[in-house]
Amino acid sequence: MKKWKNALIAAVAIVVVSAVALYLNQLKTNRQPKLTKYTATFLDIFDTRTEILGYAETKEEFSEQAALLKERLVFYNKLYDIYNDYEDVANIKTINDNAGIAPVSVDPEIIELIDFSKRMYEETDGRVNIAMGAVLSIWHEYREYGSENPESATLPKIEELQEAAKHTNIEDVIIDRDAGTVFLADPEMSLDVGSTGKGYAVQRVMEYAREQGLSHVLLSLGGNISGIDGRIDGTNFKLAIQNPDLNSNEEYIEMVEITDGQCVVSSGDYQRFYVVDGEVYCHIINPDTLFPANTFAAVSLITDDSGEADAFSTAIYNMTLEEGLAFVNSREGLEAMWVYHDGSKVYSDHFEESIVE
Amino acid sequence: MKKNDIYLICIILIAAVGLVIFMRIWQRTNDSDSARAVVTIDGQEYGTYPLNKNITEKITQENGEYNLLQIRDGYVEVLEASCRDKICVNHKHIHYQGETIVCLPNKVVVEIVGGEENDIDGATH
Repeated sequence: MKKWKNALIAAVAIVVVSAVALYLNQLKTNRQPKLTKYTATFLDIFDTRTEILGYAETKEEFSEQAALLKERLVFYNKLYDIYNDYEDVANIKTINDNAGIAPVSVDPEIIELIDFSKRMYEETDGRVNIAMGAVLSIWHEYREYGSENPESATLPKIEELQEAAKHTNIEDVIIDRDAGTVFLADPEMSLDVGSTGKGYAVQRVMEYAREQGLSHVLLSLGGNISGIDGRIDGTNFKLAIQNPDLNSNEEYIEMVEITDGQCVVSSGDYQRFYVVDGEVYCHIINPDTLFPANTFAAVSLITDDSGEADAFSTAIYNMTLEEGLAFVNSREGLEAMWVYHDGSKVYSDHFEESIVE
Repeated sequence: MKKNDIYLICIILIAAVGLVIFMRIWQRTNDSDSARAVVTIDGQEYGTYPLNKNITEKITQENGEYNLLQIRDGYVEVLEASCRDKICVNHKHIHYQGETIVCLPNKVVVEIVGGEENDIDGATH
């Protein structure tokens, strides 16, 4: 009888101890709402790779936040698309298709982008020109063909480019704010918002994220990276800048920290390019020479407006180092790093303050 | 107190401590030791491969496109691919939580889930 009693006591004791242990364990996990870091990757926006980093209690909660931002990015992607038509929306391609024909009624966000791009044209002395579509589309064709058929890749003829360059006057882009229309006065011209569209969209989406009350978010659109707040532990987001030398064993050339609202953008000849007779020709075309710029392997910028970051990095990539340094150092809150093809680097006055180990 | 009672108390204590330790380990295993490479094609999950097993896997699609994935000593890389730009093949191997190799033409994403963190939140491309 006694044996049974002991066994019973033992059983009860084990159950009680287990319950207490379980309870203590739960208590430890639930003491604070545990926010986990999540990332989401999309490949179907702006023909590039989008990454969203955020913190949430559950995967579902994070997915909802990411979907909110994705929806806005898709909206801007449609508006700023120069290659595709969409049933429900007039976009930049619609404006191009109606060049010299008729003004096109567009979403206010297109007017804002064009207005912003015109401002960038002025601030960069014409080095960022969204009216350069006629020239850029020639390069686009040669590059696409050359990437598919490397053996027969060729360069466009300078005469062909010069002829197209006659139709790149930004004054011919006519905005009517009251009517909500955009009209290209020159029938031979077209818009290419490659140097401003993505950055401007990121800037607008981050403003939207703030309005929605999102915090601790990092958005990267093809390497155009913008942050709200920092990490959940209060430290800054830490970003790696890719080494433009793809054959190097060092994947990154620099680590930088960004504070709330800052962004990082790189322009370089190492991602979208094609090769003719062993020479690399990248997608950034200098409006003065009508040929790809090749002074630097890459230029990286840190600033507080993603739209400006995108436009300025294109402009600075097209400048000499002296021009670029003067441009960057005369602007508050704008810092840059130039990387030459031999891997040597030049920093603007305060770039190094953002570098971390 | 009898000798047997002391034995009993000891056994109960050992059982309780053992239980707590077991739960801790179980939790940790589920949190981080299960590093794996998750492959998605156009957003749809294709497969999951643990990093602690060396494999070579050909990720094939109905349209004939492929990426050859290799996992070796906890590092993942794409050895070969049918895409035209070979950005995924040129990409350095990945190992840390959240790192990705992306093949835009083939719509393939390889992402590390779980495992060690590397202290980088993002990278320019």
